[in-house]
Amino acid sequence: MTSTAAIGAPEMVLIRYGELALKGKNRGSFEQALMRNIHAATRCVGEVRVERRRGRMAVFSERRVMDVARRLQDVFGIKSLSPAWGCAVDPEEIADLARRVLADALADFPPEGPITFRVSSSRAEKRFPLNSMELDRFIAERVLPDHERLEVHLDAPALSLGIDVRPERAYVFVRRLPGPGGLPVSTLGRGMCLLSGGIDSPVAAWLAMKRGCRVAYVSFHSPPYIGERSKKKVRDLVRVLARFQPTSRLFVAPFTEVQTTIRDRAPEPYRTVLYRRMMQRIATRLARREKCGALITGESLGQVASQTLENLTCIEAAADLPVLRPLVTFDKEEAIDLARKIGTFDISTRPEPDCCTVFMPGRPVIRGHLAACEEAEATLEVENLVKRAVRGTEKLEIESDV
Amino acid sequence: MHSIDLDQAATTALDPQVREAMEPWLGEHFGNPSSRHRRGVAAAEAVDRARAQLAGVVGARSEDVIFTSGGTEADNLAVLGLARARSARGRKLVIGPTEHAAVRASAEALESEGFAIASARADAEGALDREHLTELLDAETVVVAQMLVSNEFGSVYPSAPLARLVRACAPNAALHVDAVQALGKLELSIGELDADSLALSAHKIHGPQGVGALVLAPGTSLRPLVFGGGQQGGRRPGTENVAGVVGFGRAAELAEQLRGRTLEHLRELRLRLATGLARIEGAHLLELGAQTMPGICTVLFEGVPAEVRLHHLDERGVAVSVGSACQAHDSDVSPSALAVGLDADAARRMLRFSFSRHTTAEEIDAALAALEAVEGELGSLGR
Repeated sequence: MTSTAAIGAPEMVLIRYGELALKGKNRGSFEQALMRNIHAATRCVGEVRVERRRGRMAVFSERRVMDVARRLQDVFGIKSLSPAWGCAVDPEEIADLARRVLADALADFPPEGPITFRVSSSRAEKRFPLNSMELDRFIAERVLPDHERLEVHLDAPALSLGIDVRPERAYVFVRRLPGPGGLPVSTLGRGMCLLSGGIDSPVAAWLAMKRGCRVAYVSFHSPPYIGERSKKKVRDLVRVLARFQPTSRLFVAPFTEVQTTIRDRAPEPYRTVLYRRMMQRIATRLARREKCGALITGESLGQVASQTLENLTCIEAAADLPVLRPLVTFDKEEAIDLARKIGTFDISTRPEPDCCTVFMPGRPVIRGHLAACEEAEATLEVENLVKRAVRGTEKLEIESDV
Repeated sequence: MHSIDLDQAATTALDPQVREAMEPWLGEHFGNPSSRHRRGVAAAEAVDRARAQLAGVVGARSEDVIFTSGGTEADNLAVLGLARARSARGRKLVIGPTEHAAVRASAEALESEGFAIASARADAEGALDREHLTELLDAETVVVAQMLVSNEFGSVYPSAPLARLVRACAPNAALHVDAVQALGKLELSIGELDADSLALSAHKIHGPQGVGALVLAPGTSLRPLVFGGGQQGGRRPGTENVAGVVGFGRAAELAEQLRGRTLEHLRELRLRLATGLARIEGAHLLELGAQTMPGICTVLFEGVPAEVRLHHLDERGVAVSVGSACQAHDSDVSPSALAVGLDADAARRMLRFSFSRHTTAEEIDAALAALEAVEGELGSLGR
């Protein structure tokens, strides 16, 4: 019963998750978070149905299965995925489908020369008449005669035909697309990311999401010293980052009063450190309100004057929450590579001033002292400035556009 | 005189909802998206929204949508831009048998830069001749261009199987798909089509004229055709046509919402036309390839050249075309007709009837009545 009928669109996408499966007691909630994130990530393609199955998930879509697969490649927690075709749970039918899936897959190889190949089956349906090894052999015996170019090679074959036998249906697949790895967003709590508009902070947010953190954003805006385009830049960054978690909340805090006050009253070399201490305070307030357990910044040791160990110490002292700095040991190039991969680089490099560049001091302090910061702040009415900034903060809900 | 437009593949009327979306950007919200003031930022936001709308319809990412002045520029940007960006890897282009002049002529323009152009062939049924194509594809090939729906015959050329053949046999090639006649009628997902670029046009889907887009697969790079202020990532600089792209975004969204119903409607219209044509001696509806987009019906007549029938129908208030509207500028016959196996004489006797979602069954009936009257008038000249 050799069938030469062309194969249609895949029926579903089979998902494998890595670390997620290791998390013992939490597994249920991790899987639920992953399912929610899968629904959110594929929302713009269409409705999907997600089925949980021991250590794997199956995502079904009526349409655009390959588009769904592409979106899933951005969902943290997914290690790899395979578009799969289904048939009845019957060895001959599986062999027939395998033959067609293989014929289709061979179209991706150059027209001549041998191709190394193996079958690997897994069987959740124990009543199936063949065990996995027997099924491997059964399928191989039936597909090999049709494809002379295939050479069985159990280690690292160029083409690995996967078979997954479920109680209700059997699935056949060949392609394995990489997922982003990490842990499902929202499984490790929430963080408030201080977003500047530069290259680093979006990368820091992405890395925090990769490790299961759900990220909210705060950005500081100093009108009319800087314009609407700087604000748009931050919105655009969050819109790209929103591809990696269901929706994103952006807080835009007014910062003009803080900056002009510091400019007018504090010693010039300390300005940048003092701005940043104020940002930590405002971010901490907003974070608590949003039930965020940490602040996230794009700071990297030694990258700019404000990022010496001494200055980071001064800045962190103003935060009332742990400060996560995913990029602390990154080289600039490493951050740039990631920013390109995430899709934020082209937005980050738009030449828009941010609130720090405009109010930059001439000779910033390199090794600041906490005591000096506190002394300078004694004249500033810090609490009132923070309160007014928090009160004037604008809240935006931003959805991904893809 | 009541006018019946059965030349909807040439252009379509602006949908009132599209016009409504555009109007503020022609009046009160007028602004340059590159300006740094609020008026400018508002215009930039409008362009972004339109980009996201269009991206959503074709399953692409916003940053991979490049707005152009129309389908022709989109095809040019793809063919020239992709070929030039890849010229270090090879200098050969393979183009489909029935490509629009926008693709064919831009490919030919590359000959002076040392590129070789090869044309794919159609098989006896009018589908792509895969065997011949396999022979043409090689490592030297840097661009393959194949339209999704023929503007002259409505034939559908499935893209995904072609894409796989291209990847297997021409590893350095990008696949460009002119989807101008497919938008709003077929499901269009750049991922499913497996294309590297997709050319689209607004005015074929009840959007404004003068707006099109080239949509790229993630990571596809190309050389720009025009140079300027760096708009659209430098890939197509120049102040964006804000009202136009807003209209395109809205038109695409509408067309996608109505796509299922539109296709069903076009099928019914095609059937109605085919049934009516059966009563007219010597009229023969062409069906080329395995699948046809029903909104484009090419009819082969006997006797006088199609041009004569066109003017007779026009006289009776029915607008149709001979070959494609763009081809109508050339005195010679359509190369696509020859490519799908028609002879020059037959190619001169082809009339194209094309519909959109605005076309009604009554219009088809009236057009058929007009056609019967014309046949009567032409008498023996008609055969």
